[in-house]
Amino acid sequence: MKLKTIALAGTMSLMSSVAFAECAYENTVPLKSLSAGFEAWKVVTDAMAECGNFEASLDQEFREKQPEAFAADPALYQIGGVANGTMVPLQNAGTIRPLDDLVAKYGQNLTPNQLIKVDGKVMAVAMMVNAQHLMYREDILTDLGLDVPGTYADVLAAAAKIKEAGVVDYPIGGTFKTGWNLGQEFINLFLGEGGEFFGEGNLPSINNEKGLAALEVMKALTEYMDPEYLVSDSTYVQQQFQQGKIAMSNLWASRAAAMNDEAESQVVGKVKMAGAPMGSAFPATTIWWDGIVLAANQTDEQAEAAFQVALEGMDEEVVKANNDTSIWLIPGYVPGELAAGAAASAGAGAKPYPSSVPFGILHTALGNGLADYLTGAKDAATTLADIEAAYVTAAKEAGVVE
Amino acid sequence: MKFKTFAVFVGPSVLMMLLFIAFPLVSVFIQSFKITQPVYETVQMETCTPGFLTQTCVTEEKSVPVLDEAGEIVTQTEWVGLQSYINVLEPERAWAALSAGDWRAFQSIDFWKALRFTLTFTFITLPLVLGTGLAIALVINNAARRVKGPVIFISLLPFIITPVIGALSINWLFRGDGILTATMERMLDRDIALFAQAWTIEILMMVYRVWHVAPFAAIVFYAGLQTVSSDSLESALIDGASRWQRLKYIVIPHLMPLIVFVGMIHLMDTYRVFEEIVGFSSQGHVISLQWLTYDFLQPDQSGNRSISRASASAMLTMVGIVLLLIPPLKRTWRDHRGSH
Amino acid sequence: MTQAVHRQPLGLRVLSSGFLIFWCIVAAFPIFWITVMSFKSPVDAFDGNAANVIFGPATLAAGKGISILDILVYLALAIWMFRRIARMLPDMVLSYSPQGRQWLGWLIGAAVTGLVVVVTFFALLPAVLNVLNPLVGPLGRDVWGFTTEHYQTVWVDRGFFRNFQNSLIVTLGVVTVSLTVGTLAGYGLARSGSTLAFWILIIALVFRALPHSVLVAGYLPVFINSAEILRPILGDAAPTLYGKPVAVIAVLVAINQPFTIWMLRSFFQNIPAELDEAARVDGCNHFQAFRRVIMPVMWPGVITTGLFSFLLAYNDFLVTSLLLDAQNQTMVPAIAGMFNRETTTTDQVVAVAAAVSITAPLFILVMVFQRQIVSGLTAGAVKG
Repeated sequence: MKLKTIALAGTMSLMSSVAFAECAYENTVPLKSLSAGFEAWKVVTDAMAECGNFEASLDQEFREKQPEAFAADPALYQIGGVANGTMVPLQNAGTIRPLDDLVAKYGQNLTPNQLIKVDGKVMAVAMMVNAQHLMYREDILTDLGLDVPGTYADVLAAAAKIKEAGVVDYPIGGTFKTGWNLGQEFINLFLGEGGEFFGEGNLPSINNEKGLAALEVMKALTEYMDPEYLVSDSTYVQQQFQQGKIAMSNLWASRAAAMNDEAESQVVGKVKMAGAPMGSAFPATTIWWDGIVLAANQTDEQAEAAFQVALEGMDEEVVKANNDTSIWLIPGYVPGELAAGAAASAGAGAKPYPSSVPFGILHTALGNGLADYLTGAKDAATTLADIEAAYVTAAKEAGVVE
Repeated sequence: MKFKTFAVFVGPSVLMMLLFIAFPLVSVFIQSFKITQPVYETVQMETCTPGFLTQTCVTEEKSVPVLDEAGEIVTQTEWVGLQSYINVLEPERAWAALSAGDWRAFQSIDFWKALRFTLTFTFITLPLVLGTGLAIALVINNAARRVKGPVIFISLLPFIITPVIGALSINWLFRGDGILTATMERMLDRDIALFAQAWTIEILMMVYRVWHVAPFAAIVFYAGLQTVSSDSLESALIDGASRWQRLKYIVIPHLMPLIVFVGMIHLMDTYRVFEEIVGFSSQGHVISLQWLTYDFLQPDQSGNRSISRASASAMLTMVGIVLLLIPPLKRTWRDHRGSH
Repeated sequence: MTQAVHRQPLGLRVLSSGFLIFWCIVAAFPIFWITVMSFKSPVDAFDGNAANVIFGPATLAAGKGISILDILVYLALAIWMFRRIARMLPDMVLSYSPQGRQWLGWLIGAAVTGLVVVVTFFALLPAVLNVLNPLVGPLGRDVWGFTTEHYQTVWVDRGFFRNFQNSLIVTLGVVTVSLTVGTLAGYGLARSGSTLAFWILIIALVFRALPHSVLVAGYLPVFINSAEILRPILGDAAPTLYGKPVAVIAVLVAINQPFTIWMLRSFFQNIPAELDEAARVDGCNHFQAFRRVIMPVMWPGVITTGLFSFLLAYNDFLVTSLLLDAQNQTMVPAIAGMFNRETTTTDQVVAVAAAVSITAPLFILVMVFQRQIVSGLTAGAVKG
């Protein structure tokens, strides 16, 4: 019987939340941050909060709120958490400030790899990278005498063998949930084929043999997936892995640690990481970064304080205490087994996620349009043509296409 | 009542509705006829992003919005008439598909797909909710006095539960090898994937909606049953009316205003069906009108949102609801005329 | 009424109670099931086998279980307490609460009872049983997988209490303002036969039918920039409305007005107009008549309407998630956030525990007000 007294614990937590631990100094300028809410941000903002006078909003609606809140004068948040894509609207609206001075003054411990530069100016400081790569059940592949798949042809061949052997429910798991996830899968494969998304004047160029090849691979993969793939997001695929229902998946590096979490996983130590399967030209994946930006609409004193607090949150101590939470870019990180997949993909030439205004629109159009092909409502060429048409309508409304 | 007194009584309420509903509505109406967009220029730009160990820098042409001296994005606004409505309705494609008799192609256009589902959903759940609600009300009324309290309490549970959480719990029960799916699989000895095709998802959504709303109908009807005059029931009994006839000729007519009331509320609520789409993540298979508007409004990675198309689709949704409401409204008008 | 109307053939009685039982199971099962899930380890909670979810072998294997002694003691105490409460609470409420405000007494009574139950079951008993269990041999061995750690994570580690407070503020604000404004308007509309009144009602009905996502998205930029917009009028005191509960309360009240005024208008229409006319003959104006004559008899309708306002505010997701920042976040968006994050399975079970927690106040509310809902509806709040 291990029920602890909730009342007692409640008072304890109140006491611990006002303690200022582990921060090198005490911050006196009131600061706020707005970022996404996944584990790495929780770790980093908790560390920032230890400096005092700091409130973090880990908000699932941050994408919608950030551009507006940073455009207000003064900005409602001094620190923002962004990724490749979400920095674009802030950068375009000029609501984030260049950080060169602050980096020169306080950033001795930052590595050059962390500095996100736009036209030579440092606009953001990255803390971590994330990428999809192959995760596989080492025990199953060994039992069946299969090599670790290096290309999608290998993946499909291995899947056929696994299905025949009948050792798991579904050989492949995929983050094919309609919307952002599904669009992302196509982008991975299209980049893997060496495709270029845009032609002249931001007009789309996905309706070609590379696009068709990407679609064919997607369809072939779904044959080996849980038939409910159109509602499977990364959490669901991760759960399927943990419950031993799938054998392979091109899944996010940030999910790797969960495979070995004894509290929820039944396959501890059996899941191994490899680089993302190759398309005909590149690994079929994109590299993402997450990092911080500072609002333009704040005083220089605030910005200075904000930058120092942010660096406290992203220092060596924090990374050492949370090494496996993500693939950190911060000095002190020891890449372990779990980072092997991301490293292999990067080594094979994986590209960064190509964020831009038109690309955001294309990603949405892909996410909404691809399901029709997978359900069999449309053939491949019609699907791609319809997605291009949807893109053009939206892009005209946004003003990026004449 | 003098107008001045009336205004004081009604004023605060009307003011709040004007400020928070009518005013945004007017702005949505205006938005739907114009397009506001930033002015873009194409520039060569070098961006450096982190790789695993070293940075990747690329120089490419990018479209970036022009900023004025004050640092604001320069925008241009254009009156486009019905263009946004055309973008939503895609009348040419719809007409081509219809005249070719190709229902499938017609249903691949978002708006018509959403309209089809919204209408099916509304008109299938309406009788189910009314019927289930009435049945529950009758059996509660029929139950022993002692169990009435607890039974009403249990019946109200699906109605009071937070909709987001209700939808999620249905999700856990049925998704993948959720407990009810697994049980069905064991009973039927076959693989069942309820989220894999459109029609099963649609049925699940309808079942969920009936489960969620029937208690409201039931409690309203139950309250109505308390006021059925026992005199008329007795005299009907003396006239030899059967149970069914008494229900049909006395109870249901007595409940009629309530049935209309519940039906009207239900029409309005189901026509803007939205939570089910998100809760069941059904957008790959079926979408609804409000979801379409919501999707236009959701900013993508790069912060773009299709405000004009969202406004147009919202106005179209509203036109639909007004059309649906005309019959019950006519009745209210007649009552109003009759009573004064 | 004579017995004849009530007499029913056996077949019909069986059918009727059969359907009732079936419906009760259908109504309660999902809630029952997520409650069971919330007490298990992640592996058990999402197991495909119902028996594993109920008995929790993995939870037990992790050393989190309860013994036969625990079960017996808890059951016995639960039954005893239930009896005591059922017997004593009504009397106490009736004797201590002020005349005509018994619902207030019930509310306080329920809150105090809830507190006592929580303290006994979660604080006192575990301590006592921890000592007893090793003493009774096999009866003290853990046999049933059961853990409250997820509740602890939710309420203690994740600071869900703050979300609870915020929900309370928003909900109480919405109910109070909505009823005050709505009662006045409902009365005004019920007593005015003008065409204007009719059109206000019709337009309100159309407003009620509007998709909320359209309205809500329009608020965000205005609320974020409200300081700048209002500066010319209010000077430097102009507030930024974004993130403030007050702003959310105003929006929810407005969204809820159409339904409120319709319900209350029907209710007031059923209060005979002769009542206030008599008062006005005695020299009262409309407001005095409303206060002296109508207010004392309006509570059943107001309470019923208030419950609907409560549900709307308490369950709202769209408005609160968009217009509140993390410091003022209410419970529903907080729970949705737990799912939308890069969640782990543990996070999901924690969210399940949060979902069960958020349902508890609704339970109490319905228990307390159940009779009022029915009587309020019967008294005519829904005459169409």
